[in-house]
Amino acid sequence: MAKIKFNNIVKSFDNGKFTVIPNLSFEIEDKEFVVLVGPSGCGKSTTLRMIAGLEDITAGELYIDEKKVNDIPPKDRDIAMVFQSYALYPHMTVYKNMAFALKLKKMPKEEIDKKVKWAAKILDIEPYLDRKPRALSGGQRQRVALGRAMVRNPKVFLLDEPLSNLDAKLRTEMRSQITSLHKRLQTTFVYVTHDQTEAMTMADRIVVMDKGVIQQFDTPQKLYNEPANMFVAGFIGSPQMNFINAAVADDKGIKIRFSGYEFDAPKTKIEPLKNYIGKEIVLGIRPEHFTAGNKDKNTCEMTVKTEIAEMTGSETNIYFDLSGKRCIARINTEKKIADGDCVKLLFSNESAYFFDKETTQVIG
Amino acid sequence: MRSKRNIINCLIYVLLFLLAVIFLAPIFIILLNSVKSNFYISESPFTFPTDETFTGIQNFIKGFTQSDFAKAFFNSAFITVFSVAGIVLLTSMTAWYIIRIKNKFTKIIYYLFVFSMIVPFQMVMYTMTYYAFELNLNNRLGIILIYLGFGAGLSVFMFSGFIKSIPTEIEEAATIDGCSPIKTFFLIVFPILKPTAITVAILNAMWIWNDYLLPYLVLGSGENRTLPVAVQMALTGGYGNKDMGALMAMLVLAILPIIIFYLFCQKYIIKGVVAGAVKG
Repeated sequence: MAKIKFNNIVKSFDNGKFTVIPNLSFEIEDKEFVVLVGPSGCGKSTTLRMIAGLEDITAGELYIDEKKVNDIPPKDRDIAMVFQSYALYPHMTVYKNMAFALKLKKMPKEEIDKKVKWAAKILDIEPYLDRKPRALSGGQRQRVALGRAMVRNPKVFLLDEPLSNLDAKLRTEMRSQITSLHKRLQTTFVYVTHDQTEAMTMADRIVVMDKGVIQQFDTPQKLYNEPANMFVAGFIGSPQMNFINAAVADDKGIKIRFSGYEFDAPKTKIEPLKNYIGKEIVLGIRPEHFTAGNKDKNTCEMTVKTEIAEMTGSETNIYFDLSGKRCIARINTEKKIADGDCVKLLFSNESAYFFDKETTQVIG
Repeated sequence: MRSKRNIINCLIYVLLFLLAVIFLAPIFIILLNSVKSNFYISESPFTFPTDETFTGIQNFIKGFTQSDFAKAFFNSAFITVFSVAGIVLLTSMTAWYIIRIKNKFTKIIYYLFVFSMIVPFQMVMYTMTYYAFELNLNNRLGIILIYLGFGAGLSVFMFSGFIKSIPTEIEEAATIDGCSPIKTFFLIVFPILKPTAITVAILNAMWIWNDYLLPYLVLGSGENRTLPVAVQMALTGGYGNKDMGALMAMLVLAILPIIIFYLFCQKYIIKGVVAGAVKG
């Protein structure tokens, strides 16, 4: 049982001069894989380091396994951490790196040997046990770092951007390896990344952070389908969601007008949008929600001039200008689109998102 | 283009060879004269020994007995070993603290260490000698403390440079693995510092072993005299007369340990100097 609870956690640096985390409260369930995601400087790594005990907590309480750990040193928190730079001990062999923590615990040699070989087998690093870290590739080093954490059999695994130093292919490979490791070990994993693809593919739940504040804490599916605000909507999804200024009008039903186009508000959003009649809102459309099909009464059709067309294989990214704002559409078409071409783009009313212009919160 | 580069390389090699000859000449002359009799040393110091001028190990035996070489060798070895060990251990710890604990105090301490490197010994030697006597530091143990002070500047500076290149994550990983700060230093940081530690040890060992002025001022020519002082003092007769043969022989013996130490560790000097320059 390793539940992690943040209770009004505050983190400041330089005697309160800089507050990185103003007030953080959330709970990570036992055996859950939670990913902390957000742009650089949003406080995700600081949050992880507070769980590890590498950063002091300015105010609030942190509980691991129902036990307050604010003043408990890292070694007594029963956690293991994998660092971005691997942080392997360069003067020790792979075996010694993995055995180090157990040796400090004065565990019998036979038991250490058994544990190290068990982890090495799972991670497929058995042939490298006698090598020094400098003789390993990036992926192998990362696996050693994972093995070093595994042998300790910790209550909580903390991973601080562990894949960001690897190349794209290896990253995909290691991603699935970490996910299967989580399933195998049945332990709580807290993972920090700025890569939303990593977050979406690995997490049970994702904490999206900005400026030390949780923007949304939910499952990947919900974050994608029901973003709480413009920040989350923009952060989750690649390419980023298009944000267009729009107005709400009551003209034989609730209508959304933007850049000379108009469409009926989706049925589910009519009620909340009624409060915005005559006001400006922000319309959000995901690039992948554009199509090149035929118009019907539940779609909005636009004709745009292609600025840049990028063929990505099965899909084409079309960059176009809408009232001075650069937008992007990702469409599945067999027709070759060239720069400067005029194309018809459609999106379904139901796929549109609406945000309050002032609060940036989602409407409805 | 290639031939031009070859010519430049050749010139560089010739220049380096000449420099090597200039640096090695004094040692060679000492070696040459250590097996010649006094008369021939002053008569023809640059010639190779012949049947007539060769004295065998006579100069070595004479020098060894007259200068109480064994005693002076022990003093020098004792002072060098413990001073170097103290410098390496304490300055590496100091540098680690200075680099990892960033505040005004450590910043000031760091600049004081750096400043101490540029103060010439001659500027402080009178006051230092006075206080060495006042504080009863004019003995083998006391001079170790003085060497620690004089050697700390450069050593802290060198260690600091290297420690900056060690990622803090390694130390944090050790903390999570269960290390206390002391254990982190001795089990993780110090082994990583090995190349720099050896460089610092070589530089300080060469300086302390060969130093004449400081031990002469503090220890004098009595019971605790070190090798350079003993060789110079003991083999000087009345009216400035010197037994040059014995002197040369003793110089050969005196420089031998430090040359062996240097040759043994020289590959680490290169490692120590370049370590941390590139991210591995």
